Amino acid sequence: MDSLPDAIVPCILAHVTNAKDVASATCVSKRWKESIPYHNKLVFTRTVFDKLKNCSTDEIVGHMVSSINRLEELVIYCPFTGSGLASWLSSAGHSLQKLELKLDDNLVDLNSCSRKLDYIGAAALNLESLKLWGVNLTQRPKWHTFHKLRNLEIVGTVMDDSSLHAALIACPNLSNLLLLGCDGLHNVFLELPQLETCNLDFNGLGDCSLTINSLKLQHLEVQGCSWIRVLETQLLRNLTISNISGRVTGIDFGKLVALESLEMRGVQWCWSAISKMLQMASEVKHLFMKVEFTGDSDVLQPFPEIDIADFFNSHPKLIKFDIHGAMFAALCQRNSLKNVDSRFTIPCLEEVVVTVRSPLNAEQKMNTLESLINYGKKLRKMRIKILQMKSSHTSADDFFEEICRFRGMNCRIVSIE
Amino acid sequence: MITLQSSDKDVFEIEQSILIQSGTIKNMVEDDFTFIPLPSVDTETLIKIIEYMKKHADKTDSKEKNIKEFDKDFMKKTLNELFALVFAANYLHISSLLELLYPSIADRIKDKITEAIRQIFSIRCDFTPEEERRIIMDNKWAHEGTEIEGTLD
Repeated sequence: MDSLPDAIVPCILAHVTNAKDVASATCVSKRWKESIPYHNKLVFTRTVFDKLKNCSTDEIVGHMVSSINRLEELVIYCPFTGSGLASWLSSAGHSLQKLELKLDDNLVDLNSCSRKLDYIGAAALNLESLKLWGVNLTQRPKWHTFHKLRNLEIVGTVMDDSSLHAALIACPNLSNLLLLGCDGLHNVFLELPQLETCNLDFNGLGDCSLTINSLKLQHLEVQGCSWIRVLETQLLRNLTISNISGRVTGIDFGKLVALESLEMRGVQWCWSAISKMLQMASEVKHLFMKVEFTGDSDVLQPFPEIDIADFFNSHPKLIKFDIHGAMFAALCQRNSLKNVDSRFTIPCLEEVVVTVRSPLNAEQKMNTLESLINYGKKLRKMRIKILQMKSSHTSADDFFEEICRFRGMNCRIVSIE
Repeated sequence: MITLQSSDKDVFEIEQSILIQSGTIKNMVEDDFTFIPLPSVDTETLIKIIEYMKKHADKTDSKEKNIKEFDKDFMKKTLNELFALVFAANYLHISSLLELLYPSIADRIKDKITEAIRQIFSIRCDFTPEEERRIIMDNKWAHEGTEIEGTLD
């Protein structure tokens, strides 16, 4: 390696980013030491300082950060103090593009965690990407504008509505927003004109309300809201709405002309929300339905009957259909096949995944499965997942036999799990 | 067809369309050279370089996964082989191969103490004893619990 051209050593060392490796590398030879100022990324892992005895870890981080001329990316997972962070950012803030910090303040009350967020706002205004773990955002952060910030990710956080709003006002050019494991939010209003990808996961009772006004939105994933309103949806391609602990009561979207994939998940959605969502998603190519029950009150109810001809005629572009939860039962009611005639086709459907939960209405279920194959001329794959059935009743065994026979007759297409 | 000659005087005839991935060769071809001697690349290394360029010549979408698998396996070589490839790829200006080699070589530095790195890469320490003491003191924490720490006093 001694005889490698001078230009190459820094290229190789640029890929050494763990702080401990960088420190070891610095001591190897003069040429290696001289490459270090041209480094651009430093990572301090969670355990990097674990074996040290009496050491100021803040000082070590500071020494390494200041030995690099133009640090672009800094990742700190090990514990650190607010004043340490302030001093590193004052030395590297001007060139820093990406910052990732494990704060772990979300389980601590505000008075005992130092205001690390404020230090970021003071010094790192050229940031393009900011990722924070364990954030306490129950007070407005002292942030000026991050003009260049395109990516903001916060995982594990306790917030309130107005602090989140204040934080996002400082990020007007955000194109990607991720908030996972958020506690404390009730009414979220996002007005980010450059936003393209948005992934939100709210803890709690599942009763948040969300409004988004972002013209460029393409991907949206939301968990934990009961009311969702997205005003501009011309570019929305992928949408996932789920609610684990609460009920989805209302949705309001603009025209979903570009929607290609839709996932609906949750324990309970009001029927008006389900039918409105399905009606609006007429262009969809991939539909994933896993809503367990419907009902407007706390009483869980099965879906009403869904007419198969009606359903597939209003979703003519459907290529892949995942039918879980209550949807399959709704497609297998007495009158579900009423309007199916010889002119009916399911033109684009290629793949179906069905979850079967009970042996009730066995005959209708078999009819529906057969219709999917008969009218789905392009159907290549049908996967039938059989969940635990109460097999004390002989009907469960009979039903299982029926399904196996069905598979036998259509073995190129059907598989059972 | 272009003829390449290694430092061991072995010749290889390869299609021009594959070889233009090398900026150096591309320039020579544009100047109408059809016979290109490569006195700094030995036969063994040249064979590997040609293998790489052939695989990467067809970059259609379907082959992408295939190419990624090939790249992963291609990097499973001894450090000396990787160095030889870096020299050659640098001389031949094959940037995609260099971008693959840099992190693979850097991987061999990970989790190693300074002395181990010197041994693996056959590097002489060119610090004066005083300089070496100082620099190890500055980076003492990375050597804690190792032999070097013991020699500081």
